[in-house]
Amino acid sequence: MKAVAALLATVALLVALDAWLSRALNPYYLTILARIGVAALAAASLQLVNGFTGQFSIGHAGFMAVGAYVSAALSVYLGAGWIAALAGALPLPLARSLYFPAPLVAGGLAAAAAGLVVGIPALRLRGDYLAIATLGFGEIIRIAILNVDAVGGARGFSIASPAHPGLDLRYESVGAIYGVALLSLLVIARLVYATGGLAFRAVREDETAAESIGVATTRVKVEAFVVSSFFAGVAGALFAHSEGYVHTNSFSFLRSFEIVVFVVLGGLGSLSGAVLAAAALTAAPELLRGLGEWRMILYSVLLIVMMLVRPEGLLGRRELVPARWRARAGGVRGAPRD
Amino acid sequence: MALLEIEALTVRFGGLTAVSSLDFAVEAGALVALIGPNGAGKTTAFNVVTGVYPPTRGSVRFDGREIGGERPHRICARGVARTFQNIRLFRSLSVLDNVATALVGARRSGLRDVLRGPGWRRHEESLDAQARALLARLGLERFADAPADALPYGEQRRLEIARALATGPRLLLLDEPAAGMNPAEKEELAEHVGRLRDQLGLTIVLIDHDVGFVMNLADRVSVLDHGEKIAEGAPEAVRRDRRVIEAYLGTDEAAA
Repeated sequence: MKAVAALLATVALLVALDAWLSRALNPYYLTILARIGVAALAAASLQLVNGFTGQFSIGHAGFMAVGAYVSAALSVYLGAGWIAALAGALPLPLARSLYFPAPLVAGGLAAAAAGLVVGIPALRLRGDYLAIATLGFGEIIRIAILNVDAVGGARGFSIASPAHPGLDLRYESVGAIYGVALLSLLVIARLVYATGGLAFRAVREDETAAESIGVATTRVKVEAFVVSSFFAGVAGALFAHSEGYVHTNSFSFLRSFEIVVFVVLGGLGSLSGAVLAAAALTAAPELLRGLGEWRMILYSVLLIVMMLVRPEGLLGRRELVPARWRARAGGVRGAPRD
Repeated sequence: MALLEIEALTVRFGGLTAVSSLDFAVEAGALVALIGPNGAGKTTAFNVVTGVYPPTRGSVRFDGREIGGERPHRICARGVARTFQNIRLFRSLSVLDNVATALVGARRSGLRDVLRGPGWRRHEESLDAQARALLARLGLERFADAPADALPYGEQRRLEIARALATGPRLLLLDEPAAGMNPAEKEELAEHVGRLRDQLGLTIVLIDHDVGFVMNLADRVSVLDHGEKIAEGAPEAVRRDRRVIEAYLGTDEAAA
């Protein structure tokens, strides 16, 4: 009952926030807010693999691309028809809201499937080799999509249906994006901060020892990779539907690198750290508009300074979680105690 | 019937034969020591029993079932647990979490952790209690919340034993548990190990460099040298065995 009440309160809060934001801010700032939500989700999902399981993957944008394109294709080729049919019986905004989870789930599942296919061979590798392999797979996914004409190929893909010209398939609600991001974060946190989730960190700390106490390390690594890919796909779907247009250029190696930077700067092994770094580094270049192309140099310099000054990242392995939550037995098992 | 039976086990790494036609059996409830000089093949034998390496030839049976070449986590699930010569703790995790990770009840689907339905909290609390009980058994309860790598050396070794026990083993393999300990620590460890056998009915095999530590502890001692078993028997008899003395001190001809 308490959980249901908390859920309803959160939804109400997000709806109110959304209503207020869409009046208080101009579309430019709303777009930045939406991008922060997407970046935070992408960073949190990669944290599961890189921070908690200790496997260094640098091809995350590939899985975002799968989520973005599959969800976009669903909306364009099928979703528009579904919404039109629903709108016959319901008000249009409600029809659109009812449809909204479908592309997210489809994008997530498609990315998870891609994660499984990539993860099983790639996770046999370790360290630098795994990093190179994931980088390669990320690029393969991107270039494969670039050659599919049904999703626009090199022209990019507009989320608009020729069969239903007046219908807006975009979904710019900041409240909904943050709702999805929050829910995803909660799932990842619950997975990691439970006794069962200690297996992820056991693999990070010492694979041989983990195997010796009964942890199926290969399975744990693949699980982490698939779950991480799922949420990268959800982030990709959110991105596609908030921008209304996708192009493979958005999912290049630079995008993957950006997500790795969020994770490392936030602190490998801290979900809240990854979210903070993603928010700060997504907002900063927009606020410092003049920097433009210099953003990657800023990243590199920031990384170097961080490595020198704070090698464990912004939060290290800590979480910004109230002590009250932490004290509940098992609630956040394994969070560093301070 | 013997709980662990190693028959004609040979392990080769390229041209190096680490273990050569080793026969070694351990009766249920026994406390057996495996000793020998550096490089004698003791740890390699442990690594084959726990699945880290596959046997080149020969068989390893646990409770009558062939386990040679199985994955380590499967062998652990069958009831074989171990510690490591060079301590392998989950260093950044707390002492309590090191043990909790190994509990049999910790191996379950992530879906239940995400949904956290009724009974989830109770299950987590029971895991917590089990882990604390194991810490108490090894005298580590006051360190529960400290990071594992902050523990003193002797306590780290005991924590590895507590972690191994959390997997609910029938056979416990201890790889040089007394290495680097001072005499007082060794004595305390010997007490703990003896108590584990008596109170939990565990079968224990432990590796050590020499017969000293295991003298009053083991029922039986097997001596390895250059991958071969050169002696076996009661500790007192093994200590006087001519071939054992030669293995440790060399022969007259070698000295000349």
